[in-house]
Parts: sequence; structure tokens; C-alpha cells
Amino acid sequence: MFSDNLHAEQEIDIGKQKSETCLGCHAIHGYNNVYPTYKVPKLAGQHADYITSALKSYQKKERQHNTMHANAIALSDEDINYIAKYFESLK
Amino acid sequence: MSKNIYKLTILLMMLNPCSLYAAGDYESGKSKSQVCAACHGIDGNSKITMYPILAGQYKNYLVNALHAYKSGKRNNAIMSGFAAGLTNQDIDDLATYFSNQKGLKILPVK
Repeated sequence: MFSDNLHAEQEIDIGKQKSETCLGCHAIHGYNNVYPTYKVPKLAGQHADYITSALKSYQKKERQHNTMHANAIALSDEDINYIAKYFESLK
Repeated sequence: MSKNIYKLTILLMMLNPCSLYAAGDYESGKSKSQVCAACHGIDGNSKITMYPILAGQYKNYLVNALHAYKSGKRNNAIMSGFAAGLTNQDIDDLATYFSNQKGLKILPVK
């Protein structure tokens, strides 16, 4: 729905710029979430549709995680679309 | 005193029968994963974009997710149903299988 104005490559590039914040946890090998302890998930190569759905669930607190809620509510639908397409492009 | 506590801790770690991160069995996980394959793909590289790729995901992230579905902490009509029937051993086996497939990676720094 947003791709009418931008080419796929441009969307991916914007997504890369907008995903800087994600790198602090999702770009560090073996980085741990705590309480409960498990590794912060790998996202590179994940489907854009799934990333979009996960971020919107965090926004609405349907999926509960304080840090991800705080980050997700700062994102517009357009931001989510670009970030999701960037992650998917990393196959 | 502190030596005894140390020994006791080691002993409890060895005896703990219900650790969430018990060693999973790859081959058992492979055979149990047939149910998952319909949505997540045979090796966890799903072809249906609304269902996440599991291949290469961290094992203890997958373990945590399945326990969260099972307990109801994470809600999903499809996954709640499947996770409800899994034992801790099933979860460890499945997570071992999917985490050892080629797929997801961490985000690149540049």
C-alpha cells in the first residue's frame, strides 16, 4: 500500500536507516534478554509480513514485552513497512 | 560455608530434572517437526510469509516462545493449540532441530 511512490530498493534503504535502534540488541551475537533469559531473536531474512505483524502486536500490547512495546509505539505504519522490508531483504 | 553452598549449587544443577534448557535431541525433533512443516516449512524456512521462519533461530528463543504459547503468556489461536500438547522434552527437541537449520541471521551492523 506504500509502494506506489517508492521503488523497492528505496524502501529497503529507508528501512535500513530507520532500524538503527534495533541493532543495539538484534545485531549482537548471543545477546540475552533477561527475566526470562533467552537470546534476542535473529531477524535478518525474516518475512516482512511476520515482522509487521509482530511489531503491531507489540504496539497494541497483544504481545507483551516492555522494551519492544516502547520501541514499537515510536514507529508509524510506514516505518514498520520499511523496516520489515529491510529485514526481509537480508536473506 | 561458601564452599558448601557452591557444592550444593552444583549438585542441584546436576539433579534438576525440569530445566527449560535440557539437551534436545535433533533426530526426535526432526520427526516431531512434521506437524510444524505445514506452516513453517520442512526445515523451518516457511514459504508462507505470515508464518515466521524458524530455521537458524536461537534455540532458547524458540524454547521460550513455545513455553509462552503453552502457558498463554503469548496468544495465538493456532500456536496455543499446538503448544498445549507439547512436553518440555518435545519443546527442547523441536528447538534443537529448527535452530540447527540454515536460515535466519543476526542483523548486520553496517
